[in-house]
Amino acid sequence: MPSNPSMSAAIVAAAESDKIGYIEEGTTALNLHIEAIRNVCAEAGISPTEIEGVFATNHANMLAEYLGIHPKYIDTTSVGGCSFQMHVHHALAAINAGVIDIAVVSHGEAGFSARKNQGNGTLRGGGGDPWTPAAQFGGGPYGAWGPPSYYAHALTRHMHQWGSTKEDFANIAVVTREWAGLNPRAVMHSKETNKFGGPITVQDVLDSRMIVWPLNLLDICLVTDHGGAVLLASAEKARSFKTPPVWIAGAGENQSHADMLEMDDFTATSAHASSEAAYRMAGMGPGDMEMAMIYDSFTVTAGITAEMLGLTPRGEGPSLWADGNASPGGKFPVNTNGGGLSFSHSGMYGMMLLIEAYRQLSGTAEDGVHGIEGKQTSAQSAVVNGTGGLLSVTGTLVLTSDV
Amino acid sequence: MADYNKPIPSPDPYVTQPFWDGAKEGKLMLPRCTSCNRVHWYPRILCPHCHSSSIEWFEASGEGFIHTYAVQNRAFGGWADETPYATAYIDLVEGDRMFTALRGVDAENPESIKIGARVKIEFDQADEDTYVPYWRVVD
Amino acid sequence: MADYNKPIPSPDPYVTQPFWDGAKEGKLMLPRCTSCNRVHWYPRILCPHCHSSSIEWFEASGEGFIHTYAVQNRAFGGWADETPYATAYIDLKEGDRMFTALRGVDAENPESIKIGAKVKIEFDQADEDTYVPYWRVVE
Repeated sequence: MPSNPSMSAAIVAAAESDKIGYIEEGTTALNLHIEAIRNVCAEAGISPTEIEGVFATNHANMLAEYLGIHPKYIDTTSVGGCSFQMHVHHALAAINAGVIDIAVVSHGEAGFSARKNQGNGTLRGGGGDPWTPAAQFGGGPYGAWGPPSYYAHALTRHMHQWGSTKEDFANIAVVTREWAGLNPRAVMHSKETNKFGGPITVQDVLDSRMIVWPLNLLDICLVTDHGGAVLLASAEKARSFKTPPVWIAGAGENQSHADMLEMDDFTATSAHASSEAAYRMAGMGPGDMEMAMIYDSFTVTAGITAEMLGLTPRGEGPSLWADGNASPGGKFPVNTNGGGLSFSHSGMYGMMLLIEAYRQLSGTAEDGVHGIEGKQTSAQSAVVNGTGGLLSVTGTLVLTSDV
Repeated sequence: MADYNKPIPSPDPYVTQPFWDGAKEGKLMLPRCTSCNRVHWYPRILCPHCHSSSIEWFEASGEGFIHTYAVQNRAFGGWADETPYATAYIDLVEGDRMFTALRGVDAENPESIKIGARVKIEFDQADEDTYVPYWRVVD
Repeated sequence: MADYNKPIPSPDPYVTQPFWDGAKEGKLMLPRCTSCNRVHWYPRILCPHCHSSSIEWFEASGEGFIHTYAVQNRAFGGWADETPYATAYIDLKEGDRMFTALRGVDAENPESIKIGAKVKIEFDQADEDTYVPYWRVVE
């Protein structure tokens, strides 16, 4: 007899790798994974041998071997930056089914170091099948060269269809940078952390280098190194750790397309469906949410997603960030770590959404390392949405505090 | 053709050959499902709408409209020489959508490009066998 | 060295460098956990036995024993010239296990190779910086 998995598991700890951001001396994806898992286990006060399920987009069998553990549940779903939200969804189902009690979702990706290591530090990319539809009809032969070159088309269409402006979207980057100012680990925290760091204005975004019209440089995420991991535990075990639980009230995932050729509406993603599933499982709605962690590979990704999550009317996504609403001290905090735009974005960013949501809802977002005064919000519930591919795939979670 | 310095698609012999054969003759060939009569793009071995495997190819008008576009100010390889240039998704008159590098527009002036503008297809010879489709704004 | 025609490992600068530095001097360097005192192979940033991050490197004896072996009658690249040749997993005296191409055996005669036979390490210079370990049966 199927049962609603809502609240049958909790995130019980979250941690990053030792170093994140532009790691000048270099690193590898595997090292970032291992550091994150070691750190999350230390935080929770358990040994890695207690992990029963391993969820990761890459190195999934290597992780267990490296740690000398023997997981009885392994999931390597890898569909882009939302994979980690989906891992939580899958782990929730496995825990609810009684297959495992403790799982780790881990990420390591050397987006920055891989450039100088000639690809040795990462397993991303690799495709190489010249006969896929996208290879013949979707990409390089027709002038596309990477994610920004595709995503720009969505912003053009949004402005056309809904009368939005570049300024509306640029403001998302501005507000996100405000949060980075409260996160000492954010790459763009300040002039001390990066010469381009510190507060920015809408005009700064518009004046930054044009990469793909209508996307300026500051509409586009960073490309960094980072690792991160979260531990999940069954409801029965969730309070046996040093760290407090944050409950998984709802989870959902969906896919609208793979190549942008098949994106019916360039101003909509499958997040409307994945969030509907997550809200339904939770028995909650957008109006019950007190903060959001929204994948921001580009300002347009975040803006559209706000609409899909039901946080704004259609066509008005960027209004979520307007008038200080989503800023520090605002009514509805969004991307409180500084986001992929200003904190850290390794290529697949979704792990960082989970870590920050955990910290906010567990009251640990402000301890000098995870954030400074003003970063901790009073939110007791969060909607967390990852977006993968070319606005292709989404995973949504509804998380709640242990109250 | 000797000058063609951009990535050249690899026509696959199983599914897409009629498109590339047509391209050589300057014709836009499209796949259409004989069960539900709908055009789909990219070519497939089954219809994405009704999942029938009965697909026929026909010569299309080669006309369409801009659905959305962007201007690439940064690019690599052969494309780097052409920045800024526009790319676009084209709504085909017969149905579904194609991706292209757009011609007949002022890419220095992104706002001058109009969503909905009428476009026609043309083909550039890239190597002996491969003619790459481009779309040009005609009004 | 100019003749070395087999795949050459890429030493990584973050974890395994002490091994490759030792190899240059003909020494087998192994990682050992200072918490539980156990050797592990391959090198890691944390001990797979007790998960401590306190790892030290030490010069090992360079001796071991054949744990199991096989004879490669088919191979590719530079290895193709050497078929048949034996490969083996070596139980290191100090603990854990290493993979190698085995020397000092009659690969034409697989049954003549003895599990448990004593082996010693040696290094071949593959390029300027990289010395590849081989193990040779010494009894």
